[in-house]
Amino acid sequence: MTLTSSNDPADSSAAAAGRFISPFAVETPAGAEGWESMYPYYALLSEERRELDDGKFWFFDGMHNPEPLYPFDTIMTENWWVAASQMSTRVWPVPPAGGIDHRIINGYLYISPNAVTDPVEIGRRAELFGVRAGHYFQNWDEIYDQWVTKATDCIDRLKAIQFAPLPDTEPESSVFEHRGLYSSYQLLTTYGELLNNLFEMGSYHFEMLNLGYGAYLTFREFCQAAFPGISDQTIASMVSGIDILLFRPDDEVRGLAKLAVELDLAELILPENTPEATLTAIAGHGNGAKWLAAFEVAKDPWFWFSTGAGYTHSDRAWIDDLRLPFTAMRGYIQGLQNGEDIRRPLDAILAERVRVTDEYRSYLPTEDDRDSFDGLVELARKVFPFVENHNFYIEHWHHSVFWSKVRELGDVFVAHNFLDDREDIFYLHRNEIYSALYDLNIGWATGTEARGETYWRPEVERRRRIRDVLKQWAPQPALGVPPEFITEPLTVMLWGITQETVQEWLGAGGEDGGDGELRGVAASAGKATGRARVITDPEQLHEVEDGDILVCRITAPSWAPVFSRLSAAVSDVGGIMAHTAIVCREYGLPAVVGTGFATVTIRTGQLIEVDGNRGTVRILEENAQ
Amino acid sequence: MNSPSPYVLWLDDPSAPESKLLGGKFGSLAQMTEAGFAVPPGFGVTTTAYRHFLKAAGLADRAREVRARAVTADLAEVQALSAEFTTAVGAAPLPADLETAVREAYAELESRTGQAGLPVAVRSSGESEDLAGASFAGQYDTFLWIKGAEEVLQHVRRCWAGMFGAAVLTYRPEGDASITTADHGICVGIQQMVEARAAGVMFTLDPVTGDRSKVVIEGCWGLGEGVVSGGITPSRYVVDKVTFEILRREVAVQETQFRFDPAISAVGLVPVEADRREMTCLEDVHIDALARLAKRIEQHRGAPQDIEWAVSESGDVHVLQVRPETVWSRRAATQVIGERKSAVDHVLARFAGVGLTQRAGSPQS
Repeated sequence: MTLTSSNDPADSSAAAAGRFISPFAVETPAGAEGWESMYPYYALLSEERRELDDGKFWFFDGMHNPEPLYPFDTIMTENWWVAASQMSTRVWPVPPAGGIDHRIINGYLYISPNAVTDPVEIGRRAELFGVRAGHYFQNWDEIYDQWVTKATDCIDRLKAIQFAPLPDTEPESSVFEHRGLYSSYQLLTTYGELLNNLFEMGSYHFEMLNLGYGAYLTFREFCQAAFPGISDQTIASMVSGIDILLFRPDDEVRGLAKLAVELDLAELILPENTPEATLTAIAGHGNGAKWLAAFEVAKDPWFWFSTGAGYTHSDRAWIDDLRLPFTAMRGYIQGLQNGEDIRRPLDAILAERVRVTDEYRSYLPTEDDRDSFDGLVELARKVFPFVENHNFYIEHWHHSVFWSKVRELGDVFVAHNFLDDREDIFYLHRNEIYSALYDLNIGWATGTEARGETYWRPEVERRRRIRDVLKQWAPQPALGVPPEFITEPLTVMLWGITQETVQEWLGAGGEDGGDGELRGVAASAGKATGRARVITDPEQLHEVEDGDILVCRITAPSWAPVFSRLSAAVSDVGGIMAHTAIVCREYGLPAVVGTGFATVTIRTGQLIEVDGNRGTVRILEENAQ
Repeated sequence: MNSPSPYVLWLDDPSAPESKLLGGKFGSLAQMTEAGFAVPPGFGVTTTAYRHFLKAAGLADRAREVRARAVTADLAEVQALSAEFTTAVGAAPLPADLETAVREAYAELESRTGQAGLPVAVRSSGESEDLAGASFAGQYDTFLWIKGAEEVLQHVRRCWAGMFGAAVLTYRPEGDASITTADHGICVGIQQMVEARAAGVMFTLDPVTGDRSKVVIEGCWGLGEGVVSGGITPSRYVVDKVTFEILRREVAVQETQFRFDPAISAVGLVPVEADRREMTCLEDVHIDALARLAKRIEQHRGAPQDIEWAVSESGDVHVLQVRPETVWSRRAATQVIGERKSAVDHVLARFAGVGLTQRAGSPQS
């Protein structure tokens, strides 16, 4: 991947002026002309809003969407554009923070947090916020219980949704039960139900999230003031739960490995065959049925575990691609055969958490400080189960099921001759799908050829070509004018964007600063040297070899099985609370996240050094091997 | 030894940890030795020996006079007093019994370490050092790489004379002269030299912020004298005392180091090997071992300490000196939080843009 000169993240004149290049100055790569037609009008830059769009600070959300958005997948970004923003502006409201704006530029999502700066307005909001957010904090556990009930109910309703091609003739039940409603109506309303279900879960997503992050941020700020230089992973380790749901899929795999050994099935799983062949072999074994029953139980819901951030349909879940869990299982079986204890040492982790917390407390200077520390630890621990577990309920479980339902709808379009492949549905925006379904209903109802039978195939092809071009383009980490202060809690905690990050980006200008060194957030301690393996698509994960250093835009917790082969990990984006950081701590892998440019600066095969203590990555050998 | 109060006391003598005869510095090392820390072997020429010498030389009364006059004298006069008395100490004969005791002890140290002509460090250890607030840091003498009984005896005498150096006579922590005028004795410690790959000091708190969750290590290539005297800019390492994560490494470029220089048969400033100049003088394993050592010493002694250490070429870590930390331990604690309130109120205020700490600074730095 190369950068054209005009697309340097901060060209020298812009960087000198303390700003990034204008979003309007970003050029469309040759062959991607017309990309705007894939996305809704309100997500695009426009001349009419030039003053607004040009003066804001936009940063690339590579954490959720490392690749150009598929038209359908904008449903996820559009959802949180409203759902996250409304919490800050209309529900609480958060005194100094506004919503987070979105723009799609060359297919990539850029976002911009709004700040509230008028002291009178901040005061008005603070009053409301104290009462409303206070209510949530005071009743957190009860509200979290309610939240789990709502979330699982929402997922149950999602799982019940079914799409099927329209029948030649309506079934008898349509007639003799006198419902007066037929398959065409059913198809439209079910589609509406699917979208509403996504927006419902999307709303739950942010009901408690900012408050949870805020409580944690406050504890973090206290620790940083009392113990300057304390690492983020240490702060997190004082409040992080040991039984969080993100560890469950891996725990289930450990359990299946143990069962396989007990049932004498290990030798059927160890050869690197396809998951299908392995399952067939197991089914043919005398003990196979017992293991397969356990496998089915473990799969739902724990294998609804995304290989990405869950924000795009291309992030396949374990349940769609069993290679990852089987790879992990082989590792655990080998461990068991070598006499290792593969269980996570929960008691030891918990005892260490107590020791670390008590010891820091003992170093505080005053009684009031110790009281505040106690209160803030307790509150952070109270909110953390939601902060950590919401990922599993939403991004993994709900989103993975959601994508599978959209694929079912893709089959309907294939059956009705609109598309060749179920996956092509993702090249349509959700509002276009509503039109296409109406078109389909017309064709079905009238018996004449639907317009869509000739309309969508060439359009999908055109969009595929554009997106393939955009995929080769490297998005700049930031555009526009950076703010003086960054106050929006999500920006700091999730994306790791701070004043320092912005200055780093302004200074780096897309290169490594000439000293062969990239800087980022020290996400996991330790130091390692190895060959780089640049992964820009989860599909490439199987190329990872033992000792490689993973270089990616963002990692996902479900990549854990390959983590055991890595010596370190580096990402372009991510902050201390990014999905990966939670699991990385557990795996004890040196990691530097939020480097901005690793995937464009480093090439597969180069020898690199990752220093997870200092947050730096150095290229030791230019030449790839 | 028929004397009830010996002239020589070994660091590992059962009575040493409780004994006043070793002075502050060496007494602490006896306690460290007893607790099993890696202290180089050695013995102290006790405060009894010092007093015996002054008395036998007829200098005891004069010593009291010099101290008393130094309180009111101007600097020129103090320097004159110091010079006169120091010369007297240098010229006075050693009592034969004392000389024999030191020679025998050195011979035993040679035989214990299996090295004839063993190089030793000769250091003053004052009775006054452990007085609250009086570190006497850098005020007393240290002589390195001293070989043979003759040289040892000569440097013991120099340490005694050093008690009357102008700097010691005018030392007034917080304007209090009583420490100087008191008739404190001195012990001279004799210890095997550690051939240090790197050496320096470390604190069981951050000496800049007072943060007790850190161990701060300063070290340089070669002997630690450059770090202690401030002549060499040390590399600096900050370690989290709870998790032992190495939080910062500030590696200084070092051109020269203190080492035994065969050309002059003494410790001198020699060039650092070319491949080491820009390299860290401590590998992570050394930093980790030092930080854990510092924490154990602090726990053993029950309060923040500053510690002189050396790491040998083979990687062994040695304790050369321990002292109570005297700055932050006596300062009133600075509270972290600005205002006492409930955790929820802290969080609500944080959302409203009000920082929770006293220090206005960015939480990100």
